[in-house]
Amino acid sequence: MDNSPSAAGDATVIRVDGLAKQYRVFDKREGLAASIRGLFHRESRVVDALRGVDLTVQRGEFVALLGPNGAGKTTFLKLLSGIITPSAGTATVLGHVPWERADAFRRRFALVMGQRNQLWWDLPAAESFRLHREIYRIEPARFTRTRDELVELLDVGGLVNRPVRELSLGERMKLELVAALLHEPEVLFLDEPTIGLDVVAQHTIHRFLRHVRTERHVTVVLTTHYMKDVAALCERLVVITRGSILYDGSLEGIVDRFTSHKIVTLDLDETPDRGRIERFGFPCEIRGPRVTLRIDRDRIADVLPGLLRDEPVRDISVEDVPLEEIVAGLFRGASAAPESGA
Amino acid sequence: MRRYLGIFLTFARACLVRDMTFRANFLLECVTSLGWMSMNLAFYLLVFTFTPEIGRGTGWTREPFFAFVATGLIVNSIVQAFFMPSAEELTEMVRSGGLDSVLVQPLDAQFLLSLHRVEYSSLANGLVGVGLLGWAVSRFTAPPPAIAWLLYPLLVACGVAILYALIIMLAAATILLGRNQSLYDFWFYLTNFSRYPAEIYAGPWGGPIRMICTFVIPILLVVNVPARVIAQPFSAGSWTPIGGAVLAAAVMLVVSRLVFQAALAKYRSASS
Repeated sequence: MDNSPSAAGDATVIRVDGLAKQYRVFDKREGLAASIRGLFHRESRVVDALRGVDLTVQRGEFVALLGPNGAGKTTFLKLLSGIITPSAGTATVLGHVPWERADAFRRRFALVMGQRNQLWWDLPAAESFRLHREIYRIEPARFTRTRDELVELLDVGGLVNRPVRELSLGERMKLELVAALLHEPEVLFLDEPTIGLDVVAQHTIHRFLRHVRTERHVTVVLTTHYMKDVAALCERLVVITRGSILYDGSLEGIVDRFTSHKIVTLDLDETPDRGRIERFGFPCEIRGPRVTLRIDRDRIADVLPGLLRDEPVRDISVEDVPLEEIVAGLFRGASAAPESGA
Repeated sequence: MRRYLGIFLTFARACLVRDMTFRANFLLECVTSLGWMSMNLAFYLLVFTFTPEIGRGTGWTREPFFAFVATGLIVNSIVQAFFMPSAEELTEMVRSGGLDSVLVQPLDAQFLLSLHRVEYSSLANGLVGVGLLGWAVSRFTAPPPAIAWLLYPLLVACGVAILYALIIMLAAATILLGRNQSLYDFWFYLTNFSRYPAEIYAGPWGGPIRMICTFVIPILLVVNVPARVIAQPFSAGSWTPIGGAVLAAAVMLVVSRLVFQAALAKYRSASS
């Protein structure tokens, strides 16, 4: 019987305060002489993988952790799932301290890693599912019902009895998701689940995860490099760079906060004069009669009537700056900033 | 306990399915293993054409010595079939980050890491060991007493437990170091000492080896104590090594558990 606060229905599923993780890494110099010297004296330095992160996640939220390689996303997930222990700070997931690795906690979440295979390689996934049933003590009728439902949702009925090594990456990932959800976890950690997948497989997994979230009320924390994942699945975005949270908020919020302009695309009757078009905004691109302008968000309502009146506009679209561009700008900004601490 | 048995049986079943999928490989492993063992037995037979006894007055004449060898085969085949394959995989699991998925499962990590693979081909040697033991005992001038037969399986279990504890401590070193191929070699060299009667470790070099391999790393108790119980006359003095083997197994299991837990707490995980 789990008497943790979260089991009693507390809305906060994940609470993280000042979580930090440092690693000591050894530097290896090039050359034979340096290697021999390294036998007696190794130079090391401390790397901050995570620097005092604070985060709260409510039940049923779908949160995306976004960041460049080495930002600390996966380290964060590993801490939340109890794989590694922190250097400082505290965290609770479902009322448990993850790195205490209590069975009562581990029965209530699942971790899927896109770059790691968790199914038995030489055997059909059905064998891994059977093991899962034993490990999580899933009652047989419930196991069959859940498995059949998940298999149907992902349309992998024809794959469960084939050796995993014979499956494509996308097929394997779908079966990994089935295995992870067999015990009906309350929290799902996904580490780059769509990495390397084709568009169709990505779409199927997006649809499946949306279903999991809405029908099963699972709290999901996802790390990804793909903006498509974020746009398709998450309302909340957490941007991590160099071990710190740079942004935590809604998708719309990141656009408002980090961009001051909109992108206006015009299809004109003829190629415009650059000087004339610059009156309305900064021309990012002029390709024949197609023009892309960057216009300040505050001026857009004033500029558009004049633009439509003075120019031979056949078609017009007004869009926010693409999310990829905003996030890439954030990553660039963070990597250009001087490092502090370590 | 029932749950763990169920999980182990699932592992055992899956490994059998896998072995049967690669039947030729399975048969080849059996043949290789039996071939290596046959060469060893032939070597010992050759030795006994030159001497009636291993060491003067030790009691290790041909049939008792083959009972000793059979005990070694039984102990080692159990270890090789149930524990060693999993331990060998651990290095790769630590290096590649595969250990991560073990740590998130609601199960004792030591159990999962040490018993998730069964190598059935290694049991072939154990079966030959049982046959060899039967043959050797049937040729004894005096059959072992009932108490010896009762104690024998217990002491074989103690021997297996000592080797298992040693494997777990080396596995813990793997987790701490990230890679420890040389330590597994160390295990192989060390267990070599357990293959021969303790009496051969005498004199200025043998004496210290015997002390270390009895009281520090009790590897000499693994085969010697059960083999002695079945192959040598049972007396009141037999209880001392028996008690020592039971105590050593218990201490080794506790210590290995503590070392393994400490290593897991320091696990760094591989980069993704």
